[in-house]
Amino acid sequence: MAPIRRLVLDVLKPHSPSTVEVAREVADAAGVAGVNATLLETDREVQNLRLVVEGEAVDADEVERRVRDLGGTVHSVDEVVAGEELVAYRNQPQDPSPS
Amino acid sequence: MSARLASLLRDDRVRAISRRYFVSNGFDGALTCIGLVIGAYLTGVTEGLTVVKIGVGAAVGLTTSGVWSVWEIERAEKRAELGRIEDAMLTDLGGTGVERDKVAARGINAAASGLGPLVGIVVPLLPFLAVGNPLSMTWATLVSVGLGTGILFSFGAYMGSISDQRWYVAGLRMALAGVAVAAVNLLFG
Repeated sequence: MAPIRRLVLDVLKPHSPSTVEVAREVADAAGVAGVNATLLETDREVQNLRLVVEGEAVDADEVERRVRDLGGTVHSVDEVVAGEELVAYRNQPQDPSPS
Repeated sequence: MSARLASLLRDDRVRAISRRYFVSNGFDGALTCIGLVIGAYLTGVTEGLTVVKIGVGAAVGLTTSGVWSVWEIERAEKRAELGRIEDAMLTDLGGTGVERDKVAARGINAAASGLGPLVGIVVPLLPFLAVGNPLSMTWATLVSVGLGTGILFSFGAYMGSISDQRWYVAGLRMALAGVAVAAVNLLFG
């Protein structure tokens, strides 16, 4: 099966563990070369993160398992790039034009 | 596991709660010990080892009380915290790192709570091990009250130093309680 090169997840997590801990724990998963964790929203008890995971062959199940073990939940898988090439998203005609 | 424990020991919330229990129960222990040694002296106990045995009994009682009560209090508090987070996340956090951290933090809180009275009682009892050689009962009692008051001072000085108060004033305020207990015991003993 083609390897996953890039995975973008929408994650909800408690304030503790911190975003730093989440990023480091996910970066330790098999096949992961790097992680970008961006705080999108913070609430009284929870935080919403965008987790961008890249590597030669990202193990999506392990990434999700690690997020769950840290007390987080994956709300949605927003982007997956798989195959030999890292294909970047290109604007499509139906995308709203920037105003 | 040890890295997780080290991380929890650096956690501000875990430290703050542990510190409160340690100082609060250590304060109880030191005052209990000062009352105990003066009571023993005034009732005419002549053997230092007898005072130590009574004191160790008090230490066992207060240490058990410190560990047990905090274990139960923090069980309830941390379950309530976990429940609030679960409500916000709409998920069960049982078996996750969040729950494991709460259990470990409860253990650290309980250990600190038990350690306070143990230090507060055992240290002031040490002079009674030297009764007869070289200390007399009177001197052992005086040194013991001095050690108990010193522990209270150090608790106060430490709390003062972390809260931007003058540490020696905060220390003296706590030490005053030791002097007060000694004075009341001497007056009514």
